[in-house]
Amino acid sequence: MSKRANDEKRAMGALSRRRKNMPYYFMLPVLLPLVLLFGYPLIKSCIIAFQNYKLGNPDIYFNDFENFRKLFADRDFFLILKNSLIYVIGSVAGQFFLGLGLALALKKKFPGRGIYQSIVFLPWAFSAFVVGLLFRWSFNGEYGVVNDLLLKLNIVEKGPAWLGTPGLSLLVVTIAMIWIGIPFFGIMILAALQSIPNDVFEAADIDGCGIFRKFFSITVPYIKPTIIITILLRTIWIFNSFDLIIIMTEGGPANYSQTLPSYIYTKAFSAYDFGLAGAFGLMLMLILGMYAVVFLKISNYEEAGDF
Amino acid sequence: MRKKKIMALMLSAALALTTIGCGGGNNGTTGESSSDATQSGSQTADAGAEQSGVTLRFLDVSPSETRQKYYEGVFEKFKEETGISVVYESVPWDDAANKITVLGASDQLPDVLTTHSGWLGQLTSSEWIIPLTDYLGDSTEDYTVAVNKLFWQSEIDRFGDIYTIPDGMMVKGIFVRKDWCEELGIELDPAKGWTYDEYFEVVEKLTDVEKKHYGVSYRGARGAFDPLMTYLQNYTGGNTYDSEGNILIKSDECREAFQKWTDLYRNGYAPEDSINWGFTEMVDNFVGGLTGTLMNDSEVAPTCMENMEDDQWMVMPVPKSEKDGKLYNLINGSYSLSISSDSENPDAAWQLIEFLARTENSSNYCRLSGLIPIKKDAAEDELYGEGGPYYTFTMQLNDPDLVVPATIGAFDYTDMHQGVMHEEIQKYLLGDIDADTALDTIADELEIRMKKYLEEHPETSVEKALVMQ
Repeated sequence: MSKRANDEKRAMGALSRRRKNMPYYFMLPVLLPLVLLFGYPLIKSCIIAFQNYKLGNPDIYFNDFENFRKLFADRDFFLILKNSLIYVIGSVAGQFFLGLGLALALKKKFPGRGIYQSIVFLPWAFSAFVVGLLFRWSFNGEYGVVNDLLLKLNIVEKGPAWLGTPGLSLLVVTIAMIWIGIPFFGIMILAALQSIPNDVFEAADIDGCGIFRKFFSITVPYIKPTIIITILLRTIWIFNSFDLIIIMTEGGPANYSQTLPSYIYTKAFSAYDFGLAGAFGLMLMLILGMYAVVFLKISNYEEAGDF
Repeated sequence: MRKKKIMALMLSAALALTTIGCGGGNNGTTGESSSDATQSGSQTADAGAEQSGVTLRFLDVSPSETRQKYYEGVFEKFKEETGISVVYESVPWDDAANKITVLGASDQLPDVLTTHSGWLGQLTSSEWIIPLTDYLGDSTEDYTVAVNKLFWQSEIDRFGDIYTIPDGMMVKGIFVRKDWCEELGIELDPAKGWTYDEYFEVVEKLTDVEKKHYGVSYRGARGAFDPLMTYLQNYTGGNTYDSEGNILIKSDECREAFQKWTDLYRNGYAPEDSINWGFTEMVDNFVGGLTGTLMNDSEVAPTCMENMEDDQWMVMPVPKSEKDGKLYNLINGSYSLSISSDSENPDAAWQLIEFLARTENSSNYCRLSGLIPIKKDAAEDELYGEGGPYYTFTMQLNDPDLVVPATIGAFDYTDMHQGVMHEEIQKYLLGDIDADTALDTIADELEIRMKKYLEEHPETSVEKALVMQ
């Protein structure tokens, strides 16, 4: 092969490599801040999890698995884990089903739909602080509007202390979380519903399909990718959220409404034990990682939306 | 599929762990909030005076519009007199302990900071504040006996030095619904006082659930152990440990006292929700008319004055012990002023503290915050004398039976205070554990920490209760 041909081949190779690498150069402005803002805290947290790291105590050193021993020895660990699962499953399920219902109701045009849509999507715009206070007062055992209604309707003889009773305190926080998140599912599923071609439904009508058949054979398969990704995201968000719990109950009474993130927050910023909080964080990451893998596997995400 | 899995893993990992990793960032916003506060409260540097160029940073841990206005005014006067400028910074009380910890750990504490007695263990052990004993010198004589014998003596006993100047004395009392008592024919006389059993009896009588009247604002959440501990110390002579560090609150008398105290909740003399109440809820529900008594500091008095009619409330002294007739009352500085070890101008910082402690300035400040003044010559003020709203508090300070119980200890027990101390009591109130288990869990952990502290600090002696006379 002549020298010129070799040079041309090398030049083509370099050009090809440059073209191949081009997308990565474009992604750099996003990747760099991500690595700095997420990567560093991520790695630092992993390191802290294996250290005796108490804010205010200059004596910081690696203590092997001591934080994890403390974590599993924590008398409330399994209670908190159970609370976390109930909180997440209850919240995601409530938000999904009510959000789906909302989206289906808003799919067809009706007079005033725009105004109605704005009102029902409003909770998504509220801060958790406002929602927390709103629900805390609504469920106040003595003055709350909920107990007032229950008493007036003769449903109960004595209004329960919602925020001071084990089980009920977690229920109230879950209800508040459901209320905040319905619009998210509503918006996302509504967008997916509106993207389904109308002729598919027309064809189904001609074939004599009933409403349920159309829903399960057309609607659900079309919106499945949206459902999977929204459930995945929302689960991770809810699992990580602690603001509502801190505002409404501070995890009380006696940790009965405490979840892993709110406990991490308490350990880190009330007890200043960052090492133990880091261990809890690592545990949370493992749980969420496993969840993501299992969820994507069983939901068959790869094939979702293929027709 | 593999890429999606990896992405999902990365996403969940990042979201989960940044809760911790970015946590410092959350606290790290101190600089930002301080800066905001700085802009609102800053005062320009003076070029003409002797100390021109010196600018001090002052951190207020309990900011309010009133306090900021007071401080800005007094800093202006200070600048006129000394030429030293002061920058007012603030941090909300709920975040204060966290922020100070973060600032201390990063060597960024302001020159002068207001602190709380509960933080002193950490502040002194971390050497984030400096001793003030030499600065004070003979001027200690200008301060009230209570400041000298109770406040500073406690600091010397615990930390070996005087580290702070109180901004006023905080004395506990029992706020009572006067109108409810009159309606029920209950006669109360602050000068005569009462015992704990008499107090519990009044709480019971004031409770009428049908009328939504409960006898007591019960503290069930963070800080729940504090008033209970003082009650238990009625049976230990005011001490927490013996000379070897063995805890004293596990006696039969203390166990009985533990049950009596918690019976206030268990017997329905407090709303069920109060298992989650902290300071704010206790005060709100007393002022709002749900509860009939409230044990708290004199700082609550301005709130009562503002929100209640004069014939609706009164203050009784803390009940005396059934065992020895002594008045066990936790006397504290509300907040106290200290100089950080990060200060480059500690002498100027001391000048500022001295200026704030001057009778005129101190009395004005105490009026705002519901405190008892720290200088001797301020005690003649009619607000604090007989007939004044603070008389019950000043009266207790002069009671020969007054005993200030020993604290929990000089070691760091923040994690217990934020967790196990109230959680164990809550579990007992909910019926999850028995009273002995709850008390033993708290007491045993305290004993372990105290003994460890004594081992690590062999030169330290165990703090004893302080008596006035």
